Amino acid sequence: MIRFQKKNLFYKIYIWLPILVLFLSVFNEFDFNYLNIDYFSFNFPFILIFYFALKAYQRFDYFLVFLAGLVNDTVVGLPLGLSSLSYILICIFATYLRNITISPNLMKDWFYFLFIISLINSINYSVLFLFFSYELDITLFIVNNFFTFLFYIIFSIFFKRYLKSLDD
Amino acid sequence: MAESRDDFIIAIRSAFLKKSTKQKFSLLTLVFFSIFIIVLSSLNFKAISVTKSVIKEIVYRSSFIVSIPENFIKSSYLNLNEYTNFYKDYKITKEELDQLKSENISTKIIKSENEELKSLIDGYTITSNKILAKVIVDHESPFLRSIIINKGSKEKIKIGTNIYDRSYLVGRVIEVNYTNSRVLLLTDLNSNIPVSITPGNVQAIVVGNGDKKGEIRYIKNDLVNKINDKGIAYTSGTGSIFKSGIPVGTVDLKDLSEKILINFYSDFTQLKYVFAEIDELIPAPAENEEKDQIEVSNTEQIKLDIISDELQILEESNTKFLEENQQLNTLTNELNKQIEILKAENNFQKNVIQQHNLDQEELEFLRLNLIYSSKCQSKKLFSTGFKVGTPEYRKCIMQKGKIGD
Repeated sequence: MIRFQKKNLFYKIYIWLPILVLFLSVFNEFDFNYLNIDYFSFNFPFILIFYFALKAYQRFDYFLVFLAGLVNDTVVGLPLGLSSLSYILICIFATYLRNITISPNLMKDWFYFLFIISLINSINYSVLFLFFSYELDITLFIVNNFFTFLFYIIFSIFFKRYLKSLDD
Repeated sequence: MAESRDDFIIAIRSAFLKKSTKQKFSLLTLVFFSIFIIVLSSLNFKAISVTKSVIKEIVYRSSFIVSIPENFIKSSYLNLNEYTNFYKDYKITKEELDQLKSENISTKIIKSENEELKSLIDGYTITSNKILAKVIVDHESPFLRSIIINKGSKEKIKIGTNIYDRSYLVGRVIEVNYTNSRVLLLTDLNSNIPVSITPGNVQAIVVGNGDKKGEIRYIKNDLVNKINDKGIAYTSGTGSIFKSGIPVGTVDLKDLSEKILINFYSDFTQLKYVFAEIDELIPAPAENEEKDQIEVSNTEQIKLDIISDELQILEESNTKFLEENQQLNTLTNELNKQIEILKAENNFQKNVIQQHNLDQEELEFLRLNLIYSSKCQSKKLFSTGFKVGTPEYRKCIMQKGKIGD
């Protein structure tokens, strides 16, 4: 298990790791497009934001999440503010789930996550199609939604380990 | 019931408005802030454009730096793939190079002719200046296909500037900042390219399918049959979005969904450097004749060389033809003479034969005359014969003394 002395620089970086990874992912796009797998894509920021807004909101600055959204819009070429809105909506839904949940359950969280990303992707698709006249392939959205949903379980294992290491 | 509704409202209010100790803004504020930015970014005010441009400059540069490790992994993976196919690729490339070398000369001629014709049509000469640009960000969104290049308005890049990978079309610029620009790739769903498909010279629009290929749309139904598999699609120049005659890709009719697809020549996932074509329209008045002459001198020199070569070949062949012609004339004259001699001989022989026939006839008459003269001669007053020497007498002799038919 990784152990740091508190007030150490590495410890501070380790605490800020989710936000750092979020920024790295929006700057860098973890898309694995060079693998040339048809239709394969998933939205890593959605997974990360939802998990940490749900489980470790004390260490997760929403304003930085908002900024990460702006960066993502700039890198991907979407209208400025759209990803920020999506990320903040995820935070709101995660906060709501946290408030109404007494005993957390991974399966419930997982399917709630599916509902949220489906809703947010629908909003994104509608805004882009109706207000910005973007030609979009809905299949790509659905596939992206599906893979994001699948990968949530895998990443939540890593995130859980990370949070556990922090608590220790 | 009322309690559960209260719980719901409390949870919602808490989610939207409650600000924990480490948060600078409530989530509701950030939602409004996002919507405000979306609305603001869709407006075309100068201040907003400048701000957007500054943000993009910073983000693109940062993204380029942050992407270095991932790009390293990506390039290592691709290099490994390349090495495995190295020899096979080498052989194919060698064959292609040989073919291209042979095609290069004719292309030069066509290009210079094309430029001349265009200048005649427009009264303008378009000088294309291709500049090399580095792809600094190529993170493909699953929904949008675009790249960022490190050339912007500083290098005179404009919205609509055509972007090439070698001589193949890659896309066009849709957003320009001071030192960088965004290029919409041909594979994007929002990309429409007017193309001509050869053979058949079929006009169509190619739309990106959001993946790796393009799809032919907006084509007349009766022209679909004219399109062949592996037919070449090049830009038609319609609508002045893209310049005409730029190779785009080859037709792929093997798709199971019966869509006519286009395999682009360029692999858009492998772009590292691209060329941006900066067009400058230069009027061609008489004042600039000297300048123009210098500019076109190279092209003219190539053309002159080719024409002089052609002329030499023509002169040589002409001399050969003349010599052959002379020989043939002499031969014809000789033959004519022979024909005349033969004709004379023929006439002479005909006369001899005719004379011979006459002699034969005369001999026959004399022979029969000796036998039948008594029967045909008229000696008495009521005899039925004929007077000697008349045609009737001769006829009677030839009929062996028979009088009448």
